[in-house]
Amino acid sequence: MDAKLKETILNPIFKGNPITVLVLGICSSLAVTVTMKGALVMALSVIVVCGISSLILSLLRNTIPGRVRIIVQLVVVAMMVILVDQILKSFEATYAIDKQLSVYIGLIITNCIVMGRIEAFALGNKPWPSFLDGVANGAGYGLILLIVAFFRELLGSGTLFGVDVLGWLGYTPNNLVILPPFALILLGCIVWVQRSVQKDLQEK
Amino acid sequence: MNTNSNIYTIIYTTIIVALVAAILAFVSQGLKSKQEANEKADTISQMMTAAGFATKADLQKMGNTAVLAKYAEEIDNAFTVGLDGKKIDDLDLDQVYSPKDLKKQNYKIKDGSDAEIPVFIFKNGVTVVPVYGAGLWGPVWGYIAFEPSSNTIKGAYFDHESETAGLGAKIKDDPAFQAEFSGERADFTTANVFDIVKGGAPRNADGTSVIDNKIDAITGATMTSNGLEAAIDTWLGAYAAYFKIAAPQGGDCCGDGACEEGDDCCENKNAEEE
Repeated sequence: MDAKLKETILNPIFKGNPITVLVLGICSSLAVTVTMKGALVMALSVIVVCGISSLILSLLRNTIPGRVRIIVQLVVVAMMVILVDQILKSFEATYAIDKQLSVYIGLIITNCIVMGRIEAFALGNKPWPSFLDGVANGAGYGLILLIVAFFRELLGSGTLFGVDVLGWLGYTPNNLVILPPFALILLGCIVWVQRSVQKDLQEK
Repeated sequence: MNTNSNIYTIIYTTIIVALVAAILAFVSQGLKSKQEANEKADTISQMMTAAGFATKADLQKMGNTAVLAKYAEEIDNAFTVGLDGKKIDDLDLDQVYSPKDLKKQNYKIKDGSDAEIPVFIFKNGVTVVPVYGAGLWGPVWGYIAFEPSSNTIKGAYFDHESETAGLGAKIKDDPAFQAEFSGERADFTTANVFDIVKGGAPRNADGTSVIDNKIDAITGATMTSNGLEAAIDTWLGAYAAYFKIAAPQGGDCCGDGACEEGDDCCENKNAEEE
């Protein structure tokens, strides 16, 4: 694998993470991180939507009329989001989680990461790198989601993936952790950690 | 080729949109039966949760087939009634009313026209009826279970489409809210069949809720609480005629003294009089 492709995959996961560095997709990262299960399903959904939309639009990139390109992007992304939603609704295992995430699956379409990557990368690159870029950005988003959800479910419910972890120790769940403001505090901490490790992100 | 000409743009967008529409229609048709099966199992588990057979989480773990089997085992009778309380038609025992069906009947109840609202009676005599109405952002609905031939509420379960998580969504997520319904009584003699009260429902001296038709509203979710109250009033109001026939004593209890000794409601009334 050449260095450029490797960079395409690795950059969004840490150095150029869409949430902590580009500060995109904050809204949904506050909303769906109450449980690990919800965060995982959301992360996988965004990876699928982001990857496949990038692939499709990269394949179409030379045929899309410049004046309506945003609308064409929107149509393709909307199609992918609806497909993901329909498929989640169809399986017994994911029906309940789809209901729990309710509007947030549909709102993937408004996640700036998806259209942002298509506009910035997929429309100017070949299909394979575009697909990888979409998947990697989805994964970078998902990684932060899972980190936040890990602390919120552990401290807020005393469970992980619904399995009792702290309850038997007599831990009393902290209700503040369940509320969105705590997700913002956690996100702030993650940004803080990342900036102290990665000095070039610090403003002079 | 000039991809910026008007003709090209129009043809291109038309093809893309038609193609996407076709794909979505095809997928939607293909998955419809699976989605409806999931929805039906979900509706049934909501009714069984209200009737107190198991908790929603336990039913979810059982899986669709087991839930349907348990329902088939427990259900005794299902039929529709009109606004006059008279039975209209039998329902198949595996037939339930999805939120979409409830919405249709909701319009009819409001019109005062030929509504056919369902009643589900389990083998242990518990009667379950649905409610449906508008919350803040979308529909709210639920199932209320009554003790056999009585207007005492055994349990309730509510669901919603898009209420705010942590606030309005508590009608579904907060077991304490749903538990408040247990033991309360619906008052079928007035238009306010059931009240969800801001500022606290009446309490006994020991802190337990007075057995009446009032429970506490949810803090920070006034619109959802009001919407749910309206839904309950509308629907239980529509069932009032049915319950007057099916539970005459429960309906008139304390009104004209037609109740038995040892009845909770009468004890309260006696306590007040003393």
